[in-house]
Amino acid sequence: MGPLVLNNIISENTNLFLAFIIGIGFGFVLEQSGFSSSRKLAGVFYGYDTVVLKVFFTAAITAMLGLLFFSLFGWIDLDLIYINPTYLTSAIVGGIIMGAGFIIGGYCPGTSVCGASIGKIDGIVFVVGLFLGVLIFGLGYNLWDNLYMVKFLGSPKISQSLGLSDGIFALLLILIALAMFTIGEWAERKFPREEY
Amino acid sequence: MKPRVLLALFTIPLGLIIAAVPQNKTKPYRLTADQLLEEVNTRTQYITPEDVADMIVNKDPSLRLIDVRSQEEFEKYSLQGAINIPLSDLLSDKYTDILNQDVKMNVFYSNGTVQSNEAWMITRQLGYTNNYVLEGGVNYWFDAILNPQKPATANSDEEFAKYDFRKSAGQALGGGMAVQFNDNQSASAAAKPVIKAAPKKKKASGGC
Amino acid sequence: MTESKEIKKTRYLNPYIGGVLLGLVLLSANFIAGRGLGASGAIKSTIVATMTTVAPAASERSGFVKEFRESHQGNPMKTWLVFEMLGVVVGGFLSGAIAGRLKFKVEHSPKITSRKRLILALTGGVLFGFGSQLGRGCTSGSALSGMAVLSLGGFITMMAIFGTAFALAYFFRKNWI
Repeated sequence: MGPLVLNNIISENTNLFLAFIIGIGFGFVLEQSGFSSSRKLAGVFYGYDTVVLKVFFTAAITAMLGLLFFSLFGWIDLDLIYINPTYLTSAIVGGIIMGAGFIIGGYCPGTSVCGASIGKIDGIVFVVGLFLGVLIFGLGYNLWDNLYMVKFLGSPKISQSLGLSDGIFALLLILIALAMFTIGEWAERKFPREEY
Repeated sequence: MKPRVLLALFTIPLGLIIAAVPQNKTKPYRLTADQLLEEVNTRTQYITPEDVADMIVNKDPSLRLIDVRSQEEFEKYSLQGAINIPLSDLLSDKYTDILNQDVKMNVFYSNGTVQSNEAWMITRQLGYTNNYVLEGGVNYWFDAILNPQKPATANSDEEFAKYDFRKSAGQALGGGMAVQFNDNQSASAAAKPVIKAAPKKKKASGGC
Repeated sequence: MTESKEIKKTRYLNPYIGGVLLGLVLLSANFIAGRGLGASGAIKSTIVATMTTVAPAASERSGFVKEFRESHQGNPMKTWLVFEMLGVVVGGFLSGAIAGRLKFKVEHSPKITSRKRLILALTGGVLFGFGSQLGRGCTSGSALSGMAVLSLGGFITMMAIFGTAFALAYFFRKNWI
């Protein structure tokens, strides 16, 4: 019955080791899908390469369906899974700053490490930037800790907030995602760009 | 066939199934039968009426009395400050936060001890801690606290101490008058159950 | 005789397959550890570890370190995310090695210089690093993993990230296309 470590089926150290293995899988898939290339990542914002859209939403749907079905079969206890908390203000402001970082730098933390691992110097520099950014946040914490902590709404689920059941929301998301994929593929045909 | 179409063919039926099937709300048991039997044999779940009376009189904020009888019985008579969670509703979602926590001491009580023990066993198997059973229930409460019998003169000091305490507590709880405690009371209040600082109820951490 | 112009294309995995595989990795993370994937948290761990090593007294007073300690007792480097990120480095390297993509280079649009790209990368990194702390996660942790568990906060952050990037895309287009 999952999650394994929280039900004491595996030890904490095994958990850390498996984290390493999972990370290998994560990095491998990311790089195989082309996420080590900042140009491909930025492509979704200009239409010429919607790999981000496709991989991201397919992964979200797969994992979501997986979790819901596992719960249905009694293989996992969804009450124990970590659900990201919602701090309304900092979620939005942080997201905006990250969005700017994304379009300027062309990477996000996971993909930058991926890019760095195959030798992309811009990836390495992005990672350095990440450290600096976190350091700045930490050093000046008292300046924005108020912003960081306000509007704590707990850990609501989207389905709860919309008043739908998890399953219905999952179906909705699948349909929306497929629609987005269709638009994405149309955009790729309309705005092709050469690789460099 | 285009991958996207293939994906759609796969995910839409799955999505339909998951949308249609009701969620699995079963709560898994955390304790094995052996573990539960061991706890039952050592009677760790009991708390004496004297201890509860003491906590009420001292206005101990960590106490939370839970009446597991039906609503009518609760409205007819209930212990001071108790809330009503009928046994039939015990597993309802709205009570999970009250039953599964490590801040307050929940004490189940019913007329005797059958129903309160039932409540305790169920919640214990789900892994909840800090739930206790009031020894003797309401019936014993009446006899022991509210109408204590004066012990015969030949009995030990301890019996007298108990009697004094019960009388004072009974007065405080029955009539709301100012309480007079004599020093002997401390002897009976000795073995007060401690709130278990939740034995590492494992919570997933995550983020970023 | 006609000559067809070959458009240079790197062979990557089909994105839908990649997505399914990534979803399975995410599912196994939730099944094993009860949490999703992440990235920025490992950076936070490293910074906290550095701060406490370099300036222990000042760090104990820092609100940042205190907030970190609330959810992580013990060594900040002995966390799930740090181990996961080490795995990402190895995994990415393996994939690049197998596909023959291992090469030191600065990937930039022909319309800008290498130097400019690196400056942009640094700026982007600083912004993203800062934002990820405020947003309590990055695209992997908040957006992807958050979506999989239907977290509202994750969803909001994701909308903010992609919305802002789309909105600003026009102004930075010269750097990419």
